[in-house]
Amino acid sequence: MTTAAIQLVRPAGGRYETLALAVATVSVICVLAFYVHERGQGDTREPLYEWQVSAYNVLTGADQAIYNSLYTVKDEIPFIYDDINQANPPGVKFHWPSLKDFQNLLLPPFYQDTSWEQTGSLHWSLYEPLAEGEMQGSTMYLGTDGHLAGQGSFLLVIGHVHAGFTNNNSIVVWWNAKNHVEMPQSGFRDRLILQGWREAVPYSGAQEVKRIFGNDNNQDVVDDEQKQAERVINGVFGDSK
Amino acid sequence: MTSYAKALLRTLALACLAGLALGSQAADAARLKVGVTLHPYYSFVANIVGDRADVIPLIDAEANPHGYAPQPADMVRIMSMDVLVVNGIGHDTWAFEILDASGMRNKLKLIYANDGVSLIPVAGASTGEKVVNPHTFISTTAAIQQVYTIARKLGELDAPNASFYRDNARRYALDIRKLRAEFDAKVAGVDLSKFRCATMHSGYDYILQELGLQVTAVIEPRHGVEPTARQLAETIDRIKASKVNVLFAEKYFASKLSDTIRQATGVRMYSISHISSGTYTREKFIDEMRENLNTLAAAINDTAKSGT
Repeated sequence: MTTAAIQLVRPAGGRYETLALAVATVSVICVLAFYVHERGQGDTREPLYEWQVSAYNVLTGADQAIYNSLYTVKDEIPFIYDDINQANPPGVKFHWPSLKDFQNLLLPPFYQDTSWEQTGSLHWSLYEPLAEGEMQGSTMYLGTDGHLAGQGSFLLVIGHVHAGFTNNNSIVVWWNAKNHVEMPQSGFRDRLILQGWREAVPYSGAQEVKRIFGNDNNQDVVDDEQKQAERVINGVFGDSK
Repeated sequence: MTSYAKALLRTLALACLAGLALGSQAADAARLKVGVTLHPYYSFVANIVGDRADVIPLIDAEANPHGYAPQPADMVRIMSMDVLVVNGIGHDTWAFEILDASGMRNKLKLIYANDGVSLIPVAGASTGEKVVNPHTFISTTAAIQQVYTIARKLGELDAPNASFYRDNARRYALDIRKLRAEFDAKVAGVDLSKFRCATMHSGYDYILQELGLQVTAVIEPRHGVEPTARQLAETIDRIKASKVNVLFAEKYFASKLSDTIRQATGVRMYSISHISSGTYTREKFIDEMRENLNTLAAAINDTAKSGT
């Protein structure tokens, strides 16, 4: 009887198989990581400054509704300004819409209806611009003292470049976490920030389109927000005023 | 009159006619052809352009824009447009498939109606995750913002008519705003403290928020996606715990799910239009939003009367 001889047979490339598999795995992971980095959808949200607040992420339901109304109103105010001043006789001072004008135009968030009550019944007041001094060239609408728990206050500031208030015409919506605030004594950005005001910024449809389609979406009829604001207000004031 | 004079007159008359015909053709060529993806945008554009431009719906009137599959006729239509008005943030993704399939992706001008809209997240979502709500057109304020955006951008493309478009947009915005005043007349003085609502899907968030009515729960976890049994059970528990007494469902897309929830919770059910079906008309948006606001007023009044 013979004893069976046992011989261990190793594949010729056996010592390299594990290494080759590891290299292949790492290569695949690297290629996929590169693809995701190059083609993947990054976070396209624009970063906010500390003195800004996101209406989309931070404001609550009622304050968000008020903000969105103000955001639309700021496009309409220049047209209303034109309407109420176009019949002015010579020498009569141009003026910004009063709260009564807004009431007549059914304009939320100023119009006092059931929705106004449901969103906190904010008390609105208008600070009309002064002819001289620090406040010249700024018009402010303050909404404060809402009756809902945790509700903040709003300030719509219209800055006029023709009066030397800012370097560019602008209509900005500010939000203050305090329920009650007094009308600011200055419309300048830094003063407002020191008093606890934060510029409320939207998450706009334009930003969402950019998130979905990326920066190469060049089919849009180009019209960024800054251009829009400047055109609208320049249209209102004209070059002569 | 001599035969020479007659011939001269005939030639002049023919030349005038030819001139008129050419002028008419030139006017037609200059006339903007504005495409739209959704019913509300048809109404918006029709009211903005009046008789100075053509409005062309991209898809057939009866097609359901939810999960729409592009058809060959859509590609023919899109090629006749000068500009296309889109929602662009999730409600007409098929329009981009049609653009790609027709080779118009980098040729046709687009107007993103929502460019200037301040968006809100889907309300009452069960996941807690903030998801952009694309239903900006079921609203008043967000609708007005879109009307202004469309009018302004059409004015950039058609400068001679820019002020006409802007004036029409302002008039139309006031018409939309009057809907709110009509609504207010129906609910003024009514106690809303017990009104708590849920919605079948996120389509009504903008209008409800504008009116100061908060949504407690949304049944569908994603638009057009029915909840799992577990999600449904959790939502029913939430409806009961939050004392929700009104459920808003979609008018045109019937769902047995809403009946199930009504039976399980005892909520009163009302139907709201998504404004995304039926004939394209200039009046459709105002008509259907008026109907929606009447429904909301009825729900509020019924809740106040019943006391629960």
